[in-house]
Amino acid sequence: MKPGPFEYVRPASVEEAIAALEDGGYDAKPLAGGQSLIPAMNFRLAQPAVLVDLEDLDELRGIRAREDGGLIIGAMTLHRELERSTLVAERAPLVAEVMPWIAHPQIRNRGTVGGSLAHADPAAELPSVMQVLDAVLHVRGPDGGRTIPVDEFYLGLFTTALEPGELLTAIEIPPLPAGATCAFEEVSRRHGDFALAGVAVVVETGADGAVARARMSLLSVGDGPVLAERTMASLVGRALSAESIRDAAAITAEDLDPPSDIHASAAFRRHLAGVLTHRALDRLRA
Amino acid sequence: MHPEELLRKQAETAPDPGAAEALAPHDLSRLGRRSRRVDGHRKSTGSEIYTDDIVLPGMLHGKILRSPHPHARIVAIDTSDAEAIPGVQSVITGRDMPLAYGIIPWTRDEHALAFDKVRFVGDAVAAVAAVDEDTANEALTRIRVEYEILPPLFEPEEALEASGNPIHEAKKEGRNGNITKHVHLEFGDVDEAMAGSDVTVEGEYYFHGTTHTPIEPHCAVARRNVNGLLEVWSSTQVPHYLQRELARVLDLDVAEVRVVQPAVGGAFGGKSEPFDLEFAVALLAMRTGRPVKILYTREELFYSHRGRHPMDMSYRVGATADGRIRAVDGKLLLDGGAYASFGLVTAYYSGQLLMAPYDVETYRFDATRVYTNKPPCGPKRGHGSVQPRFGFEVSLDKLAEKLGIDPIELRRRNFMGLGRTVNEFRVQSNGFMECLDKVEHASDWKNRYGRLPRGHGLGVAGSCYISGTNYPIYPNDMPQASAQVQIERSGRVTVLHGASEIGQGSDSTMAYIACEELGVPVEYVRVVSADTDLTPVDLGAYSSRETLMVGNAVMMACRELGTKVRASVATATGVGAEQVRLANGWALAGGERMPIARAFMLAEAEHGTLGAVGHYNTPKEGVHGDYRGGTIGASPAYSFTAHVAEVEVDEHTGFVNVRKIWVAHDCGRALNPMLVEGQMEGSAYMGFAEAVMEHQRVKRGTPEGGLHDAPSLLDYRIPTSLDCPEFIPLIVEANDPEGPYGAKEAGEGPLHPSLPAIANAIFDAVGVRIDRLPFTPDRVWRALQAARADAAPESESG
Repeated sequence: MKPGPFEYVRPASVEEAIAALEDGGYDAKPLAGGQSLIPAMNFRLAQPAVLVDLEDLDELRGIRAREDGGLIIGAMTLHRELERSTLVAERAPLVAEVMPWIAHPQIRNRGTVGGSLAHADPAAELPSVMQVLDAVLHVRGPDGGRTIPVDEFYLGLFTTALEPGELLTAIEIPPLPAGATCAFEEVSRRHGDFALAGVAVVVETGADGAVARARMSLLSVGDGPVLAERTMASLVGRALSAESIRDAAAITAEDLDPPSDIHASAAFRRHLAGVLTHRALDRLRA
Repeated sequence: MHPEELLRKQAETAPDPGAAEALAPHDLSRLGRRSRRVDGHRKSTGSEIYTDDIVLPGMLHGKILRSPHPHARIVAIDTSDAEAIPGVQSVITGRDMPLAYGIIPWTRDEHALAFDKVRFVGDAVAAVAAVDEDTANEALTRIRVEYEILPPLFEPEEALEASGNPIHEAKKEGRNGNITKHVHLEFGDVDEAMAGSDVTVEGEYYFHGTTHTPIEPHCAVARRNVNGLLEVWSSTQVPHYLQRELARVLDLDVAEVRVVQPAVGGAFGGKSEPFDLEFAVALLAMRTGRPVKILYTREELFYSHRGRHPMDMSYRVGATADGRIRAVDGKLLLDGGAYASFGLVTAYYSGQLLMAPYDVETYRFDATRVYTNKPPCGPKRGHGSVQPRFGFEVSLDKLAEKLGIDPIELRRRNFMGLGRTVNEFRVQSNGFMECLDKVEHASDWKNRYGRLPRGHGLGVAGSCYISGTNYPIYPNDMPQASAQVQIERSGRVTVLHGASEIGQGSDSTMAYIACEELGVPVEYVRVVSADTDLTPVDLGAYSSRETLMVGNAVMMACRELGTKVRASVATATGVGAEQVRLANGWALAGGERMPIARAFMLAEAEHGTLGAVGHYNTPKEGVHGDYRGGTIGASPAYSFTAHVAEVEVDEHTGFVNVRKIWVAHDCGRALNPMLVEGQMEGSAYMGFAEAVMEHQRVKRGTPEGGLHDAPSLLDYRIPTSLDCPEFIPLIVEANDPEGPYGAKEAGEGPLHPSLPAIANAIFDAVGVRIDRLPFTPDRVWRALQAARADAAPESESG
């Protein structure tokens, strides 16, 4: 349980970090909180040649209020800081709600929001949460900066739209629209385990009581966060009801093609996704 | 410090002698109280020395090459490239240690390193000693092994029927070499009793296989000193057997081998036989002339295994209309993995240990253990009897349901009391009824069983376990446990004993026995244990034997010394020796008192240097039947347990939330209730974990066949403290005449009922019987689905 040999770089600025990442190409990895990368290296599942430690980059830390009611969160902000932030609780209650589901306090004390999003573990909670919140990811690279909506960020298993040399610097969360409510549900085998399945949902209800817009994303049932597009469409235009929720749960389960592994069969994961969809929407109806 | 000064200091700091006098009405002054472990402070501050903490000058690091194939013949091994790597000091293979070994002398079927065949993925093939771990690992990649692949057998049913290419050659021609042990025993006419029963229940049960997961991986360090002594430090729980097997395999005199067991970070049965690394470090140290250490990786731990056997079990139970058991018929198939290990004993235990605490008229069991190409199974806490207890106690629940009798009442009606089980084990103490009373009362069973809202349920189960086994693993008439106690004029008492402290608290128990008998505070007791050069022989920490056997030995030695000390005090004070008490740092003689060190000085002056030995050997007459196998499982004394488990079943997700387990355990006299409760909680926890979560298994098919499914603590899931039910320990004390002060075991018995109590609680909660372990969400959900196949589609709002 020891990592292979690697070179360690500790840049003092984002520019230096980007240069180091560009130099290293595909063999370089940024080190944020290290809560996934270091165990993967110890298991020798990951063997980067260069580790670019972002620890000193204070410009990547912190939670800032946007004038329009949204948030900008630095990529190196700790889970624990989000968990304890009153600003986050007010403006992005779904982010606050999901925090206790993420591993254990010890891990949340070290793990960063950017690290989790860029690692792209299909069992991670934050990608789905950021997806339903319509978050936009700020990225900087050798050729300057760009923004990527979460919907376009996840390309596959542990794979994102980040190019070599590019660094995720911040996450921008727009304000929650008036009339929007949100919920998160998950089942995991033990406290702090990777989820067997999970679901994040935001529902915007119009003045007429019908759902005007819905966002739903599932975790641990695919290669990355899975946007439940048909389920979302099925909810729009009707008020949340026992019937619409039953339909939504059925559609969610039907549309998924989850993997089987030693912890749960595909059929069971599909079933759980339906149950969780039901539970999340039931909470919004109540 | 001058003796007089020392005595003054002791007189100032010793507790009030009145406190000792106040205890006089009781027969014990120090035992029976909640007492801190003697090693607790060292362990909680990280200052304890475990095997991997040992670093010797010039020490090399060893690594073991393991087979990637589940079943193959070794055609050739070329180690020349590995030997050529700078820093590699020695490479050894099976040819260097050709003698087979095995913990049971009749089933020696293992080699320190595979000799001609590999029989599971992970079988040791070669070992390397190098200047550091990286170099040793590099050397492993340069060893070229040519294998002839053989078809693997993963399913026990396949192994039973297989013809040709057996995993081990049959000992007798015409037999199936894959059968490692077959036991068939019948007590009374089962068929007749079954036919005459008013009611019968039957079922097929399955236990899935689990491993020990101690925090400390196996580790061994060896050196050979210039005088020829081979010293091996190892995280073992059987130093004596290890010493013998090392000498045999390495062709040394037993007296040339010293085995030292440093602090052990958990064992649970997984360190109770010799392992490849111990032989490898020894031979590598002999070859290189330098100390060598091998520490298993966590992955190696999952492959070395020796955990609980998967078992297919069928039980048929016949009873009268009022619920009295007339006949029990059990058939068991044990999946042994690649080697025999303790399997001969496991096969016997799987039937022999089932009869108490019930009065059963007739009993038959048929147990077959087979080899498969998987990591070898062996003894795990509750050896051999956890799986059958699951099947049997669920059977009793079904019987109670069928007859409309409360499950606790059904067990009461079948209580055996004292005397002999149907298979002739002698029971001289039995607190099972009180165990049932306690869990019934504490769980408010009468008001809650069968009456909780759907999804919530209670279940009960009972069990019995041994406090040591009557016969040693190799036949001999010498003591099974022994101790030596020395008194020093400063007041210090040194207890030298062979028991293996593996976390269960044996060092503490022996220390407090010395306190009890010799009147010293625990700070004045030094314990030296499990070092074959320094301590007298003990057979090891297995079958829950240490408290009863080594406790008796320590008590015997201390009593001899106590008699001398009291006599000297009596002479000095002019009272009768029977009026002298030694307690809490004082010698109390009539109205007089003196610090205990003064008493020791008087005794040393009168008798000379103060030392004594004690031993224990189990009674051999009248404790078991004379039939073949009748001695296996017979014990000097038996413990009894009852659990009530409370569960909540989420019918939509299949999650079983075990909320509480009430654990009542008859451990005889509780010498230290705090340690007893710790063992009760730890045992019940382990059973709970095996019931709902843990699963040791290998992949099937090619090319991955034989690879462990989850060889890490990330994927092999054991519940954390956050995932545990509340455990409520309820001690019952039915003192046994064989136990020291009446003490019996507490370390294994309280595990057994967890599994069936949870199963029975699930039935109470949702009306579904799940006879196959583990109760994972997936399995429970499928069982619920099957049960309501015809019902309306699931609705959350309902």
